[in-house]
Amino acid sequence: MSRRRGRDNCPNLFYNIKRKGCESVQLFLQQVFNGIMIGSTYAIVALGLTLVFGILHVPNFAHGHLYMLGAYVTFFMMKLYGLSFWPALLISMLVLALIGVLVERIVFRPLINQAHITMFISAIGLLMLIENFVIVAWGPRAHRIQNPYPTIVRVFGITMTHQRIIVIAAAVILMVLLQLFIKKTIVGTTIEAVAQDREGALMMGISVNRVAGMTFAISSALAAAAASLVAPIFMISPTMGGLLVMKAMIIIILGGMGSIKGAILGGYILGLVEALGGGYLSAAYKDVFAFGLLIAVLAVKPTGLFGKEK
Amino acid sequence: MDIKKILKEKWPYLFLLLVAFAVPVLVSSRYVFQVIVISVVWSVAALSLNLVLGYTGLASLAHAGFFGIGAYGVALLTRGGMSFWLALPLSALLATVVGLFIAMPALRTRESYFAISTLCFGVIIYIVAGNWLSLTGGHTGIIGIPRVTPIRLPFLTIEFTSLTSQYYLVLVLLLLTLFVMHRLVYSLQGLTFMSIRNNEVLAEAVGINAFSTKLLSFCIANFIVALAGGVYAPLMGSISPTVTMHILTFNWLVFTLLGGVATLAGPIIGAFAITVLIESLYFLGEYQLIIFGALLIVVIIYFPRGLMGIYDNLSLKAKDFYQQRRSGFKDVQRIAQSRGSD
Amino acid sequence: MKRAKKLLAVLLILALAVTIAGCGKKTEPTPAPGPTPAQPPKEVVIGYSGPLSGPAAEYGQDCLNGIIYAVEEIKNAGGFEVNGQKYIFKLESIDDGANPTQSVTNARRLQELNAVAITNPVMTSIAPMIELNQEAGNEFLMLAYTSTPKVVQTGNKYLVAVPPPFTVYINAFSKLAWDKGWRKGAMVITLGAYGDEWRQLFKAHWEGLGGQITADQPANYYTEVDYSAQLTASLATNPDFLLIGGPSQPTALVMEQARMLGFTGAFLLIDQAKMEYIESLIGLDMMGEVIGVGRIMDFPSATAKKFDDGYTKRFGVMNTWESVLNYTMTHKLALAMQAAGSVDDVAAIVAAYPKVYPIKGDTYPVEYFGVEAGGATYLPAMVQTIEAGKYSKPALYVWWAKTDAEFQQVKSQAQDGSNMVKMDLKR
Repeated sequence: MSRRRGRDNCPNLFYNIKRKGCESVQLFLQQVFNGIMIGSTYAIVALGLTLVFGILHVPNFAHGHLYMLGAYVTFFMMKLYGLSFWPALLISMLVLALIGVLVERIVFRPLINQAHITMFISAIGLLMLIENFVIVAWGPRAHRIQNPYPTIVRVFGITMTHQRIIVIAAAVILMVLLQLFIKKTIVGTTIEAVAQDREGALMMGISVNRVAGMTFAISSALAAAAASLVAPIFMISPTMGGLLVMKAMIIIILGGMGSIKGAILGGYILGLVEALGGGYLSAAYKDVFAFGLLIAVLAVKPTGLFGKEK
Repeated sequence: MDIKKILKEKWPYLFLLLVAFAVPVLVSSRYVFQVIVISVVWSVAALSLNLVLGYTGLASLAHAGFFGIGAYGVALLTRGGMSFWLALPLSALLATVVGLFIAMPALRTRESYFAISTLCFGVIIYIVAGNWLSLTGGHTGIIGIPRVTPIRLPFLTIEFTSLTSQYYLVLVLLLLTLFVMHRLVYSLQGLTFMSIRNNEVLAEAVGINAFSTKLLSFCIANFIVALAGGVYAPLMGSISPTVTMHILTFNWLVFTLLGGVATLAGPIIGAFAITVLIESLYFLGEYQLIIFGALLIVVIIYFPRGLMGIYDNLSLKAKDFYQQRRSGFKDVQRIAQSRGSD
Repeated sequence: MKRAKKLLAVLLILALAVTIAGCGKKTEPTPAPGPTPAQPPKEVVIGYSGPLSGPAAEYGQDCLNGIIYAVEEIKNAGGFEVNGQKYIFKLESIDDGANPTQSVTNARRLQELNAVAITNPVMTSIAPMIELNQEAGNEFLMLAYTSTPKVVQTGNKYLVAVPPPFTVYINAFSKLAWDKGWRKGAMVITLGAYGDEWRQLFKAHWEGLGGQITADQPANYYTEVDYSAQLTASLATNPDFLLIGGPSQPTALVMEQARMLGFTGAFLLIDQAKMEYIESLIGLDMMGEVIGVGRIMDFPSATAKKFDDGYTKRFGVMNTWESVLNYTMTHKLALAMQAAGSVDDVAAIVAAYPKVYPIKGDTYPVEYFGVEAGGATYLPAMVQTIEAGKYSKPALYVWWAKTDAEFQQVKSQAQDGSNMVKMDLKR
């Protein structure tokens, strides 16, 4: 029973093109779909990071671990309280928002007037704390979250699971919501004000501390959402955030620190580069493409695609 | 150079030197000795990181990559039959050249951008070390690295098979590094580095070439850390791509910052203190790293200048205390002077 | 005052130095005191240094659990007797996070704690550790839990390799795949020392047979969760089978993602991945046709099932080959010490190892038939297939027998030699 994959999947639309060509197009489209899905995750995580790193100038290296914590909270809610997926996700976003506020207040705010590098150190301390706490609480093994939408759909020979489509859709919704929040609400505009000119905002009577807490809350909630969305497709483990935060750093530098557009675009670019590079060029060096891409962009534009000159 | 004068002023350092040389005699536990030897190697690495980060203000997160190049260089060359004493400088030179290539694009960026792009370069070095199977042996790494080539003098042969001899080798490297750093930091070049750190724009306005200064600092630091990597390889006997991981750079960062950034003693103190701390927290079992992470946060918040910062504060207080004891009149004079010089 | 400053500096450094020097002097582990007039069991220290945190933590914990189980069993039985004195094992375990520098430091620490034998399950940590174990006066037996073939080629005098070399599985899988008429294979194996070697050797072997490797798309099973890029590229080459594997959990993900992408061929699992574990994660239906290392409970020994039940009860997790082999390894150490008549003469213990074999299935969950000079131990490699939702009868490969007579002898010694197959393995 080993039916060769792909042979009967080419729709009549492509029948005139040689079968090999059809399969190549399918392969390409499949990789593109994969890339967009992963890119959506990257974009959301990078969004959260650019808010904190770009606007507050806090090098939150522990962002990946907040992401991981978000996945675990969702898992915990579903497992212990038997909640279904969406309520668990919302609670996780709330919990992580609160944790974000705490983190800003306890771990980063005291170091605001010191060199940036000290915040880097406290971020590392936070990262160790979170990771080992999770290991002690839930063990070092990976866990699975039940996939709420496991059905598969095939379009033009591309395989997509519903969950993956939901990830892409949810990511877009989150991005739109965030953009609306920043531009249309008062709270959002205070964040933008602080981003543009911290002292000026202070003089206008904006509580920079309150804005900092809010920014961290949003950043962490976004991370929690991203993690929870992909968790059912993959697995959650204490180290799932480690590599991701580095990629997120690359994305926000690529897109320009503090730029929301840059984070989103950078996320999708990276997702596509990895999927296509990994699939067509070399799987072993897949991660190198991410890092290499960054270097290539910085060589041309040292402040990133949408970055501003200081 | 009056010997008496040197002894009078520098006696604490000489005492320290004596203790350092006497370590193999003083320490009977091989485990403690091992920890000391490794800490000395980390001290060299942290010192070089301090040069580029603490004195020049460049957050070079690729540091471990150069350590790794030094280690792999020595490992491959000595396994191929070359003498360690030739392989070591060659590998360090290789690391410096690679650093030049990295510096070209990276030094055009500023601050956080520089940090992240060097981090990326470091990870690229790690990935290459892990995947270039024919050269580096991939993730298994290189096994069976020969011990440091013995030095044949006319009257005796110095071998490097025992832990004691290896200790003296790394100690000499540390002392050399300290010497170079000391000369560098307290020279005009050192001031140039610090001027870049303090205010790059202003430095350029005064006529300093920021790019070449940064490049120089970067290259010296890379050369030194590659030397550390080069002595690490025969010490361990086998290496794997883990010697290039960014985790090492973060460790050295913590050593430097908690010891005292932009000081000569800071990285060394940090290297020893943190290593001792982690090993002694072993009894905490699975809570070890949780406590350590929390401690890290607390310490950096309350002591941003690290242990040397605490030390400076204490000695300032001691100085004040001494002054008060000495003579009240001098105090009044001092206050009057400070008031007058407003 | 300059003087005060310098004095303070010296004092601080002295304090640090004293702390460092002092904290290393650990007292000898005192034997368990007992009021009974009969000699109480003395303790012999065995050391474990391995990944108990980080990406390989589960693997490290599984290995450790096996040892703990054996140590407890020996203790409950009153200990093992050497020269009229009863001994029990004291297990000292230190996490090294798979970091070789830390492994060496741990080895030194364990040496200080008088460990007679030290075990580690990661090849890149074992390599620097064996630089230490032949030091006169500080010897220790290295119990190397790794199936990397290189480990028995180091020439180390005091080393025992616990699992069979994975080249056995390469041979076995290849033969089974070839006999089924498959010629095209694609590889999506984990990056890392272990996976790299597997890929290299399998490709060489398969192509040597005349087969074709249509894609080689490794992935980092330890950090990645999304394998769609590699799988999509591999499946586009229309392979008959996919060679996959790394730790069991991500391997389950790879299988699932491959099936979801429409792959209907068979999977070959490298020996790190365990079929029963994957089954518990994604179910037999999703797995489809699989060739891999057999289930422990199907090993033809009377004790296998009993061990399985007891282990699951004690630790609350599924039994794995890591635990069962580490368990047997610990018991074998006790047997070797008994045969040598010594609990601290490493050279004598190593010399006495051949005497403990054969390890039989009536007492132990797996069977070992001997050991050779480089440290390789003779455990038959067990291979099973899953077809049409059912596990096949396991085949046990005797890979060390050079002659037919030797093979027949092994077959007769085994509890159930009916499934044994002789394999010619180039070593």
